[in-house]
Amino acid sequence: MAIAIDRRSLEPWQDPKAQPYVRIERVTKKFGDVYAVDDVSLSIFQGEFFSLLGSSGCGKTTLLRILAGLEYPSSGRIFIDGADVTDLPPYNRPVNMMFQSYALFPHMTVEQNVEFGLKQERMPRRERAERVAEMLDLLKIGELRRRRPDQLSGGQRQRVALARSLAKHPKLLLLDEPLGALDKRLRENTQFELVNLQERIGTTFITVTHDQEEAMTMSTRLAVMDAGQIVQVDTPTGIYEYPNCRFVARFIGSVNLFEGKVVERDGDEVLVETPLGRPMRMRCPQPLALGSPVTVAVRPEKVRLCAAFREEAVNQIRGLVEDIAYLGDVSIYHVRVSPGQIVEMTLANIQPRTEQALTWGQEVAMEWSPTSGVVLAD
Amino acid sequence: MASPFQNRPRPTRRASRLLNIGVPYLWLGLFLLLPVAIVLQISLAEPTAAQPPYAALWQWVEEGVLQIRLDFQSYRLLWSDSLYLASFLNSLQVALVCTLLCLLLGYPMAYAIATAPERWRLPLLMLIVLPFWTSFLIRVYAWIGILKTNGFLNNFLLWLGVIDEPLAILYTQTAVYIGIVYSYLPFMILPLYANLTRLDPTLLEAAADLGCRPLRAFLRVTLPLSRAGIVAGSMLVFIPAVGEFVIPDLLGGPQTLMVGRMLWTEFFSNMDWPLAAALALVLLGLLVVPFVLMQRWQQGALEDRP
Ligand SMILES: Nc1ncnc2c1ncn2[C@@H]1O[C@H](COP(=O)(O)OP(=O)(O)O)[C@@H](O)[C@H]1O
Ligand SMILES: [Mg+2]
Repeated sequence: MAIAIDRRSLEPWQDPKAQPYVRIERVTKKFGDVYAVDDVSLSIFQGEFFSLLGSSGCGKTTLLRILAGLEYPSSGRIFIDGADVTDLPPYNRPVNMMFQSYALFPHMTVEQNVEFGLKQERMPRRERAERVAEMLDLLKIGELRRRRPDQLSGGQRQRVALARSLAKHPKLLLLDEPLGALDKRLRENTQFELVNLQERIGTTFITVTHDQEEAMTMSTRLAVMDAGQIVQVDTPTGIYEYPNCRFVARFIGSVNLFEGKVVERDGDEVLVETPLGRPMRMRCPQPLALGSPVTVAVRPEKVRLCAAFREEAVNQIRGLVEDIAYLGDVSIYHVRVSPGQIVEMTLANIQPRTEQALTWGQEVAMEWSPTSGVVLAD
Repeated sequence: MASPFQNRPRPTRRASRLLNIGVPYLWLGLFLLLPVAIVLQISLAEPTAAQPPYAALWQWVEEGVLQIRLDFQSYRLLWSDSLYLASFLNSLQVALVCTLLCLLLGYPMAYAIATAPERWRLPLLMLIVLPFWTSFLIRVYAWIGILKTNGFLNNFLLWLGVIDEPLAILYTQTAVYIGIVYSYLPFMILPLYANLTRLDPTLLEAAADLGCRPLRAFLRVTLPLSRAGIVAGSMLVFIPAVGEFVIPDLLGGPQTLMVGRMLWTEFFSNMDWPLAAALALVLLGLLVVPFVLMQRWQQGALEDRP
C-alpha cells in the first residue's frame, strides 16, 4: 500500500546534461574474503531522496559508511559535489550521518547533542544558539532540550538524532535505517514527515532500508542491492513495473513468474511459449533472440477475471481456487493452473465478501493484457 | 503462567525475601560494625601494662551500679602530637600522588587493551593479573633487589651511561611511590578496562562524523563517559594506599612517615592499643567522608536533571 509522493518536478537523472552530486565510481570493499560492496557505481543528484534497498547483509550499511568516510574502499573513488573525497577522513567531509542506533551521546542533553557538531566547527555562540533553536523547532523537540537520551522514547531519540545530523546543514545526509527502530504505526507517520522535511530543506538524502514499502514511499529513486552489487536503479514506479530481473521482481511486492521461451516477435511484442500450453503475448521493447529462455512476470493485481474464455486466446489461463486471503480492501486468490504452478491474483473487494462469487475449489478463468507485465531475460 | 495460587502468601517466598535482606545486614553487622565497635571501645579505654594492654571500659562498682570510664586521652594525644598529623598528611599525599600516577599509567593501558583486537584482550588482561599469583610480599622484596645501590636499575643506568654514580632510591619516599604504583596499578586498570569495553564505538564514529578529530573525540566523549571507571579505579588505589604499611616499611626510609607504620609501631612496639585504635578510627573517618562525597557526586552527575 505504498502511497506515491508527487516527485514529478524532480527528475534530473532524465537530463543528460545534469551533473551528479554524488558519484560512486567502481567502489569495492572487502572484509577479508567477503566482498561487502562489489564494484558499485552510482550517480545521485542534488535534492534527491535516494534509497539503498536490499536484504540484511547485502552491503548497504558498508556503502553508506564509505560515503561518510567511516570505512575506506578497497578500490574505486567517491566524488561529492565534484571533489574527490575518497581519502578524506569523516571529520573533513561535507556529509553527516544518522546512525542506525542513533549513537546519541548519553552524557549530554538533547541540546548539547544537537550543538556538538557546531562546536566542532567553532561557530560563534550566538549563531550556534540560533541554529540549535532552529533544529529543535524543525523537529518539534524544543521541550525536550534539557533531557538526556535515556529519558527519551524511541521516536524522540530518532528526532534528536535527525536534528543532530542536520544541524551542520550538510550537503548530503546519510541515514542508516532511519525508521528501523520505530514501531510500525510510528514508522508510517514518520515516513511522510521525513519526506516533507527533506523537501523543505532541500538536502540530498541517501537512506538505507531493508523495507521495500518504505523505500517505495519515500524515494525519488532507489537502488536494489544484492550480495554487494547493485541490481537495478530506478524510480519506485520503474522498479515495481519494470523490474530488470527475477530478483528485483520478487524482492519488491509479489509477482507471478512464468518460465518459457521466445517463439515469435511482432513489433515491440513477443510471443512466449510456456509449459502451461498456451502462449503469452507480452510487450518487450528489448531485443531478444528467438528461442532464448525468458521469464514472464505479471503482478497479482494486474491479473483479472476473464469474462469470455477462449481456448486459443493468448494471456488467458484457467485453474482452481486453492487459497483465499481476505485482507479487507482486497482479497488474494491462489489459483492452481497446473500441478507445479499457482497464479496469484489480487481483486478489490467491490462487493461485500459474503456476496462474492469466488470460493474455494471453484474454477476460474483469468487474463492479463500484454502491457501488464515484463519479459525478463534471466 | 497464571497460577490459581498466586494471591496466597507464600511462606517460602517471604522467608527467602527475609534471607535476601537479612544476610547482607548480618554480614555487615558481624564483619564491619562489630569490629568497629570493638576498636572504638579500645580507643576509649585507658592504657595499662596488662594483658590485654587496656583497662576495661565498664565495671560493676557495687550491686546495681555500673561504672563506665571513657578515656579521651588517646584522641587528645593524636591532636597534640604533630607527628600524627604529619603522618596523616604524608599518607594522604603519597596516596594521592600514587593514585594520579596510577591513573596516568593505567588509563592508556586500559584503553589499549579495550581497543585491542578481541583475541588479544584476554592475554593482555592475564598479563595484568598474572603478578597476583605470586605473593605480594615477594614482589615488594623483589623491588629491593631492583632499587638498591648495587641493584638492577642502578647497574643498568650506569651501563647506559646515563648516570655516573648509583642513585639512592631505596629507603626513600621515591621507592615508596614506585612500590605503591607498581602494586596497585592493576586495581586502576581493571575497572577502567571494564568501563572502556562497554563504551559504544559508534559514539566515536558519530563524533568524527560531526567534525571531531580523534583527540577531541577522546576528550569530549570517551573521557567523560569513562568517569565511573576513573572514580572506581581511583578509590581502589587511594583507599588502601593511605593505610599501606608493608611497602613503606620495606622500601621507605626512616623519614617516610605514614599512618600505617605509625599504627604498627603503636600496636606492637609501644603496646599502646588505645592510641592505635584511635588512630585507626580517625583514619577510617578520613577515608569514609571523601568516599561518601564522591558517591554522592557520581550519583548526582548521573541523575542531574533540571
Ligand atoms: N567491519 C566488518 N568486518 C567484517 N565484515 C564486515 C564488517 N562490516 C560488514 N561486514 C560484512 O559485510 C557484509 C555487508 O554488511 P552490511 O553492509 O552491514 O550489510 P547491510 O547493512 O546491508 O545489512 C556482511 O556480510 C557483513 O558481515
Ligand atoms: Mg545495515
